Amino acid sequence: MLDPMMEQLLPGFLDECKEIAERVTDHLIELEKAHEQSRFDDLARGLHTLKGSAATLGLAELSELAHRMEDAVLPLRGKSSALPGALTDALLKTLDTWMAHLRATTAKSDLPDLKPSHKLLEAVRHAVQAVEPGKPAANNGKAGPDKGKTAAAQEKEKKSTKREREAREAREARAEPVPPEPAPEEEVGAAEDAGSWRVRTREVVSLLHEVERLREVRLRLEERRRELERGLSQLARLGILAQTAEVRALLMGVQRALSADGEEAGDIVASMEDELKTICTLPVRTVLEPLRRSVRDLCKRSGKLARLSIVGGEVSLDRRVLEALRGPLVHLVRNAVDHGLEVPDVREARGKHREGIVVVRVEQQGNMLFIEVSDDGNGLDLALIKQAARDLSIVPGAELDAMTPAQLHQLIFRNGFSTRRTVTEVSGRGVGMDVVRSQIQGLQGHIEVQSTPGQGTRFTLTLPAELGSSPVLVVRCGEHELGIPMAAVETSLLARSAELRVARTRVQLSHREQLIPVQDLGTLLALRQPEVPHDGQPLLVLQSQGRRIALAVDEVVGDRELVIRPLPPEVRDLAAYQGAATLARGELVLIVRPDWLSGFERRDASLTGTRRALVVDDSLTARALHRTALEAGGYSVHTASSGRQALEQLRHSSYDVMVSDIGMDEMDGFELTLEARRRHELEAMPIILVSARDSDADRQRGAASGADGFLSKKDCAAGRLLAEVQAVIARRQGAA
Amino acid sequence: MKLEARFPDGVTQEDRELLERRAARLREKPREAEEESVLWAAEFPVGEDSYALPLESLRAAVPLRMVTPVPLSPPHVIGILRFQGQILTAMSLSSLLGGRGWREDPAVLLVVDPGMGGRLLALDCERIPKPVPLPHALVEEARARQAGAVAEVTLPGLHQVNLLDLRLLMDRRASEKRDA
Repeated sequence: MLDPMMEQLLPGFLDECKEIAERVTDHLIELEKAHEQSRFDDLARGLHTLKGSAATLGLAELSELAHRMEDAVLPLRGKSSALPGALTDALLKTLDTWMAHLRATTAKSDLPDLKPSHKLLEAVRHAVQAVEPGKPAANNGKAGPDKGKTAAAQEKEKKSTKREREAREAREARAEPVPPEPAPEEEVGAAEDAGSWRVRTREVVSLLHEVERLREVRLRLEERRRELERGLSQLARLGILAQTAEVRALLMGVQRALSADGEEAGDIVASMEDELKTICTLPVRTVLEPLRRSVRDLCKRSGKLARLSIVGGEVSLDRRVLEALRGPLVHLVRNAVDHGLEVPDVREARGKHREGIVVVRVEQQGNMLFIEVSDDGNGLDLALIKQAARDLSIVPGAELDAMTPAQLHQLIFRNGFSTRRTVTEVSGRGVGMDVVRSQIQGLQGHIEVQSTPGQGTRFTLTLPAELGSSPVLVVRCGEHELGIPMAAVETSLLARSAELRVARTRVQLSHREQLIPVQDLGTLLALRQPEVPHDGQPLLVLQSQGRRIALAVDEVVGDRELVIRPLPPEVRDLAAYQGAATLARGELVLIVRPDWLSGFERRDASLTGTRRALVVDDSLTARALHRTALEAGGYSVHTASSGRQALEQLRHSSYDVMVSDIGMDEMDGFELTLEARRRHELEAMPIILVSARDSDADRQRGAASGADGFLSKKDCAAGRLLAEVQAVIARRQGAA
Repeated sequence: MKLEARFPDGVTQEDRELLERRAARLREKPREAEEESVLWAAEFPVGEDSYALPLESLRAAVPLRMVTPVPLSPPHVIGILRFQGQILTAMSLSSLLGGRGWREDPAVLLVVDPGMGGRLLALDCERIPKPVPLPHALVEEARARQAGAVAEVTLPGLHQVNLLDLRLLMDRRASEKRDA
C-alpha cells in the first residue's frame, strides 16, 4: 500500500521513467552493435536512477528489479565488446515489464508478475559470466568481423578498441580507481514540485486558441492605427488646419499611443507564442527514436538486418500531431522491414549491402510538414498487388490489366488489401495502409507512394503544421484574394510574350534556361477558363516537392506574416487549401497548397460540363443558389460578383448563357446587358435577368436592353431557372 | 369525504351556482400550464415559406458580410467567416433544402449549433428571425408524420412552420457527399 502522498507523485514519476526507459532502450540497441563507453555509463546511470527513484517512492519490487538489471549489466563495465544479444533481449523485455508494472501501479490495475523477469535476468547473467573475459560474446551471428563493414571501418574499430584497452591497462597500472558508480539523478520526490506542473492538454489548447485570437486583435490594432492615419491625412487635405488643430493634435496623440500599444501587444503575443510553442511541441525524434527498438525486434524475428536512419528528428511538432502520427509511422516503418527489405543473403546476391536501410526524413516548409519513410528493399511487387486485388475482388480483372504502375500502387490503400497470404504478428490482416491513410487524412494531410522495383519504396506524408505564424504571399485572382506560403515562392516576375512558349495544350515559361509549365490560378480554382498570360501579368515561380511551375495571378498584393488555421470540416476535404488566415481587417484569406498547384500537369479544371453559364450577382447566396440549380441541370458555372467583373470574364471566356441580377452597385443588370450587346461576339449570348422585384417596368426595361428572359428571385425555385435557361437557349437557337 | 361549500347567509341559489361554476373553473388545470409545454423556436422566411429552428440551437444572428468565398467548394457553401475566433462555414439554407426561391437577398447569417460536438455553422437568412412558441404536441405529431430533416408543424389558423432538424440536415448532406 503506497503512502497517499507518494501516490500523488506517481504520474510525474511515470513520465520521468518513460524518458529514462526510452534512453536506456536506445543505449541497449546501440551497445548491442558496438561498445561505446559513454553510452554504457549512461545506460548504467539510467538503471541506477530507476532503482533509486522507485525506492524513494516505496516501490520496493520495482527497485529490486532495477537492481537486478544493474547486476546483469555492471559486470560488463570496462569490457570492450558489444553487449551480448541474449542479454540485450533480456534487458529490453525486463524493461518493458518494469514499465508495465509502473503503469499498472499508477492506474491501480492488475500488476504484471515480475518473477519471470527475475528468472530471465538470472539465467542470462550466468550465461554472460560464462563468457571468457576478452572474448566477444556471441551476438546473433555478429561475432567475428562484421561482413557488412568496410575494411576501413573494421580497422578503425580495432584501433578504437585497442586504445580503450590500453587506457584501461594504463589506469590499472597507475592504480587509478575505477570511475565511480554514476550518482542517481535528482530524487523523484522533486518531480512534481514547484519546478514542474501537470496541466491538462485541453487547458493548454484553449490557451493556444486565445493567443491566436490575441494575435488577430493585435493585427486589427495595427489596422485601426492605419485608418486613423488615413483620417488625419484627409483632415489635413481639407485645408481647415487652424480650426482642426486641437482635434488633430488629440488624434495624433491617440495614433502614437495606439502604435506603442500595438508594438507592445506584438511583443507579448510573440513571447507567449514562443513559450506556448515550447510547451506544446516536442521534437519528432521522441516518436521516431522508439522505432529503433521495433526495427531491432522485427529483425530478430525475421532474420533480416536493418538500420533505421532518422533525418530531421529535431523538427518540433505539436504534441497532438505527434501523438496522432505515432501509429502511422510505426506501421510504415514496420512494413518497410517486413514487406520491403530482403533477407541478407538475397540482398548480397543483388549487390546490396547485407544490412537494409530504412530512412525517416522530416522536413518543415512554412506551415507544411513533409515526412518521408523510405527503404532500399524490393519495391512494391506489382504482380503480387494485382494477384491480391484479383483474389480479394477489389478491382475487376479487366480493369486491373489496364492499370498503370502508379494506379496499382494506390491499391495498397484500399480497405482490406493485403498481399500476405498468412496472418503474422506484423501483417497480413488487411488492416493497415487504409488505416494509415485515413489517420493522415484525419490530420488534414495526405500520403503518396512511389516505388521502383528492386530499388525500394518511398511513402511521403504531407501535413499542415499548425503552430505559429508563417510568411504568406497574398495574391489576387479576379475578385478573390488568396495566400501562397512564401516557402514555396522562388521568385515573381512579369510575363513577357517573348518568354512564353504557347502550344495547343500548354503554355511554358522560359526561365533561367529551363522551360517551366505555366498554370493560371483562376483556371485551377475553376474561376475562369484557361488563358495565356498577357504581357505584364504577374507570374510566380513556385517550387514544391521537386516540381516547379509558373503561376499566373492577377495581382501580387504583398507578403504577410499570418497564422494559418485549419478549415472547418465542411470544406476541409478540398485538396486545394492548406487552411485560412485572418487578414488585418478581420477577413479570412484562403491559403492554397503549393504541392496542389504544382502537382498537376495542365489541368482544365475550368469547365467540365458540356454547357457553360456565367452567374452575375452581388449576393453570395444568390450566386450559390443559381449555381445549385444550374449545376443540377448539367451546366458548368462561373460566377462574378459585379457587372465589371462579368465583363472582364466575358472578355476571355465564352458562355452558353449569362444569368445576371438587376440590382447591383456600380453597374446594374440592365447596363451590363447593354454593354454585353455592344460587343459583337456577345450579341447572340442568351441573357436572363433576375430581380428581387417582379415589376412590368423592369421586365420591359430588361427586354429593351437586350435580355432574353426575366425572372423574379422568388420564381427561382428549383427547376424554374433551369427551365427558363433552356427556353431562352432554345429560342436563340430557333432564331439562328 | 366530500367537502360541502359553505356560503354566507343571504346568498341566493343563483349566486351559489355562479360561485360554484367559478370554483370549478379555478380547479381546472391552468391554461398557462398547458402553454408551458412548448418548444421555443426562431422563425424566419425562406422565400414564400416559413422555417424555424429550435431557439436553443441559435447562437447569434450576424450581418452577412466578411464572408470569404471558397472556390471549388460545393454549391451550398457560400464561404467561410470568423466568429469569436473560430472559422465557420457559411451555408445557403435554401440550397441545402434543395434550391428554393427567395424573396430578398439574405442579409443575415444565423450562427447555429447543430449538436455536432459543439461545432458551429452559419446559415444565411432573409430576415432576423423572431421567437415563436411551438406546442410540443404539434411538434411531436409532425415529427411522427415525417421522418426527415424538416417537420411541417401546422399551427392554429393553419399557419405552417417547417421546423428544421439541423443535425439531420447536415447528416443528409454528409451522406450525399459520401455517395457522390
